[in-house]
This record gives sequence, structure tokens and C-alpha cells, in this order.
Amino acid sequence: MRAIEVRDLVKVYGREVRALDGVSLDVEEGSVHALLGPNGAGKTTLIRVVTTQLRPNGGVARVFGYDVTRDSSMVRELIGYVPQEMSLWSDLSGYENMLIYSKIYGIPRDSRDKKIEELLDFMGLSDSSRRLVRTYSGGMIRRLEIAIALMHNPRLLILDEPTIGLDPRARSLVWDKISEFRKENGVTVFFATHYMDEADKYANYVTLLNQGRVVTHGAPSELKRLVEGNRVLITFKEHADNSKLSKIISSVPGVTIHSFNNDHVELVVDDVPTKLPTILEKIFANGYLVSEVKVREATLDEVFIKLTGRKITEEAGRIKEVVSVRKMIRRGG
Amino acid sequence: MHFMKLESLASMAEMELRRLRHDPFEILTRAVQPILWIFVFGSVMARIRAFPSVGDYVTFITPGVILQSSTFISLAYGIALIFERESGILKKLLTSPIPRSYIVVGRALAGSIRASTQYVIVLASAAIIGARISSNPLNLITGYLVLILACMGFTGLSILIASSLKTRERFMGIIGAITMPLFFASNALYPIEVMPDVIKYFSLANPLTYTVSAMRKLLVSNSYDILQETLILSCFTVLALGVAIKSLKRIIE
Repeated sequence: MRAIEVRDLVKVYGREVRALDGVSLDVEEGSVHALLGPNGAGKTTLIRVVTTQLRPNGGVARVFGYDVTRDSSMVRELIGYVPQEMSLWSDLSGYENMLIYSKIYGIPRDSRDKKIEELLDFMGLSDSSRRLVRTYSGGMIRRLEIAIALMHNPRLLILDEPTIGLDPRARSLVWDKISEFRKENGVTVFFATHYMDEADKYANYVTLLNQGRVVTHGAPSELKRLVEGNRVLITFKEHADNSKLSKIISSVPGVTIHSFNNDHVELVVDDVPTKLPTILEKIFANGYLVSEVKVREATLDEVFIKLTGRKITEEAGRIKEVVSVRKMIRRGG
Repeated sequence: MHFMKLESLASMAEMELRRLRHDPFEILTRAVQPILWIFVFGSVMARIRAFPSVGDYVTFITPGVILQSSTFISLAYGIALIFERESGILKKLLTSPIPRSYIVVGRALAGSIRASTQYVIVLASAAIIGARISSNPLNLITGYLVLILACMGFTGLSILIASSLKTRERFMGIIGAITMPLFFASNALYPIEVMPDVIKYFSLANPLTYTVSAMRKLLVSNSYDILQETLILSCFTVLALGVAIKSLKRIIE
């Protein structure tokens, strides 16, 4: 069963702006699927079509087989959604926000309080649940929003830029909670981001989007192979026997030799953290001495640059966006 | 399931009451103007006896001042939706399983509850300076329900304007332009008979006139002859909410 199935989706704003220009993608049930691309790539538009907010101008989008325009109310029952902008009433407490949303979502009265308490506890917000959301940090706001999105046990969690504007610690806490919840409940996660490291680390499948079109898609490690993978450069203490060393190193699966010059060898390694120790052990076991090891891991950004000629993350744009999101949070619901 | 959806409608009103409890500031500042209308305008006009046909003037304008204050709050309520459009709340509500009509009706109820706080404040102020208002609880409760009905219509109108204009500046401009004419071209401060013909016709198309009229019958003349007013107000409210429901989708596009 596919959680999301999108075919040739087109969305035009006004007459000119083709925000989505024939997008097709599949999100497998149980996966964590990232939609990665720069600002203006069409990520939010795609999410808004899938969450039944916008009608597409062409193509189809289905969620667990239900068409997002024809069966929109069925789709809304199945999804939990966190928009990019803050979706809480900042002049109510964290608990009150959960209570109101639980009633809007029709959570049965007898299980409501227990559910709210459980989720607040799970997200580490129990102690601050009586405080007004206005006093929350960005990370707390996101965790509360995710808790609200999970209240009705959705089969698909859709997050639009879930960690935008958060500092690294708050970002990883948000992701820890999502991963922990997934382990217990197996919910499918579909998220948009322009942080390539986030897509790489937390998603098991990535769709790269640029100017309303899918650039490519695949598992992060697969995509990184498009840019010749992760490089490891090993320098030996003294001039080494090329052919013998080549044989030793090549015997490790997933490792290929890119070049070998006098005292240093450059390797392409598919999974550096697990393969590098094996490589080094074999080198030491054969009596060679190593003076330096350099690792340069491939990034999805490089994949994106190779395929589109532009970077995913443009710093100026990002800072502007972060500032405006912060302003929005401060201004409140 | 449908029973639970009714609860989701009521939860919007609950949300509004909880917000009011955390921050009653708007209600208090909004009460300044009607109190001045009663204490200053009402007592000065009463002394010059400008409209002898209406009896005690402060008593006469009390229902009008209640409506002035609460329609202003209702008509301004749409600004909340514009803020919620800029934040993610509306997106969240529109992707939740409840029908979109419930969002509009629920918010209209919420807005009218916020507005109806003026009922108590104005009635109390009027009583202090000796206005002769009915003390029959049934009349007072019926008056309150008429007010809620009318304010739901005005809030619906406000949601409709918010969905169409989408920005705070344009919304505030329009609301500023329609509230005062709505108030003056009604029977809130003077009887319809004294108006020039053009304004008379306008006031007969003004839902505020029928609300004030029903309220005056209930609270001043102790009469339950309000069927006509209630029917007209119901049509206004249903129409305003109906069009607001149709327009809601536009607000997030």
C-alpha cells in the first residue's frame, strides 16, 4: 500500500507561476520520505495539495488510495499535519491547545485526557503544559504541534519544514521524538525540508525537487553514489607497495580505489563509519604504517548541484526565512 | 460521529472563552465607549428632550448601545482569521476532519460570545443611572439569545470580508468604513420616524435596526412581539454564514 501516490501533478498560481510542473512520486507505507529542495521548489505547494488545502490544476494525488480532491474528508481523517507556520493559539496554554484540538478532531471524551497527558509527557512538555504558548521556545512549539498532529493516531504524518528556525539541539530533539514515536507506532512520515543533512540523516527515501519538478529520487546512499560517493584519503608513513596494498584494500566489499600515488591512496567507500575500521585493520595487519586519514563524506547538496547546477541551501534566503518565521512565532497565533 | 462533530463546533466557542479568561483586556477597553454613550451622550440628550416620543432617553438608547458595542466586536472578529491565516492555524483547521461549515459556524459562535460580553456591561451601566430596564429573567435571557443570533450574522459577515480581503490593512479599512454608518443608519439612537427618507430606507435594510427593535421590545416595553424581527435576523444570519462558508476556502489560497 502506498501512503502517497502523486502523478503528473500541476499547480499554477495566477496564470504564470507553475509551482508544480508535472510532479510524480510515491511514498511507501512505513517509510520516512523527505522532500528536499531549495526555497521556491514547490515543496509547500505539493504538501498543501496532498493535505487537501489546494486543488491541483492537473494530475492526481492519492493518500492511501483516496483522491485528495474527491475523497478529501477521508484523507483528512488519515493524516496528521504540521504546517510550516505556527499553528497554535499563543494566548492559550499548551494543555488548552491540545484540549481544543482534541475536541476539534473528535477524540472520544473518555480517552481524551489520558491521550493528552501521554503525548505531553512523551514530548517532554508536561511541566510547561499550563504555561501560555507565547512563553514557549521554538523547539517546544514544534514538539507541541507534532503531539497535536499525532493525537488522532494518523497513518501518515506530514511535516512542512519541521525544524525551520530551530537551533541544532532543538532540531535533534524534535527528530528524536519523531523517530521514537515511529518505532512504537510505525507511522509513515513525509516531510519537506531544505536542510540536506536532515534528509540524509532521518529519511530512508529522498525526492529532490527543483522549480516544480522532481530532479531525482532514491535512498540517500543511492543518490550520493551519483557524485562518486564518500571519499577516504589514506597517507602512508613510507612509500608503499602499490599492487599489494591495492589487493588488500579491494578485498573489503563496498570499497573501490579511485587513485593511488606513491604514498597515498584515495578510496570511494559506500559506508564510511562501518567500512573504515575494517580497511585500517587490514592495512595494519599487513605491517603498513599510516600517517594520516582524511574523510570527505558526499552530501545530497553535491547531488543537487550536479543535477541542477544550483545549491539547495542559499544562506541569505535561509536567514531571511528564519527571521520571518521567528517574527511570526513572536507575533503569535 | 456526528454527535462528536457538534462537540468540535462547541470547542471553538470554548477556545474563545478560554482566551477571554487569559486576557479580558479587549472586553474592558471595548466597554469604555458604550459606557460613555450611556453616561455622557445619553444623559446630555435626555436633558434637552430631543425626541419626546421615546420616553426616557437613556432607557431608549440602552439596547442601541448594547448593539453598537457588540456589533463592532463581531465585525472586527474577522481580523482573528487573518492572523490565523498568516500563522498556520487556519491551515491546520482546514486539514482537520471537521466540515468546513463547522469552522465558520463555530467561529461565528465564538465571535458572538466574545461580543455578547457587552450585554452585561451596558445593562449594568444603564441600571446605575436609572434606566428602566426589564428585570424579568426570561426577557433578559431572550434578549441575550437575540443578541447572539444577530452577532453570529455580523461575525459571519466579518469572516466573509476577511476571506475576501486577506490583509489586515484592507480589512481594517473596510470595517472602519461600515461600522459607523451601520450604527447611525439604524434606530439605535433615535426613532426611525425622525430620519430623512433616504436614511429611513437604508435603516429598514439594516439588520441592526431589527436587533435593536427586538431588544427594545424585550427589555423596555416588556413585549414578546418579536417574531418578525427574529425571522428577519435569522435570514440575515443564515445568509451571512452561508456566504462566509462558501468564501472560507479562498482565504488560504
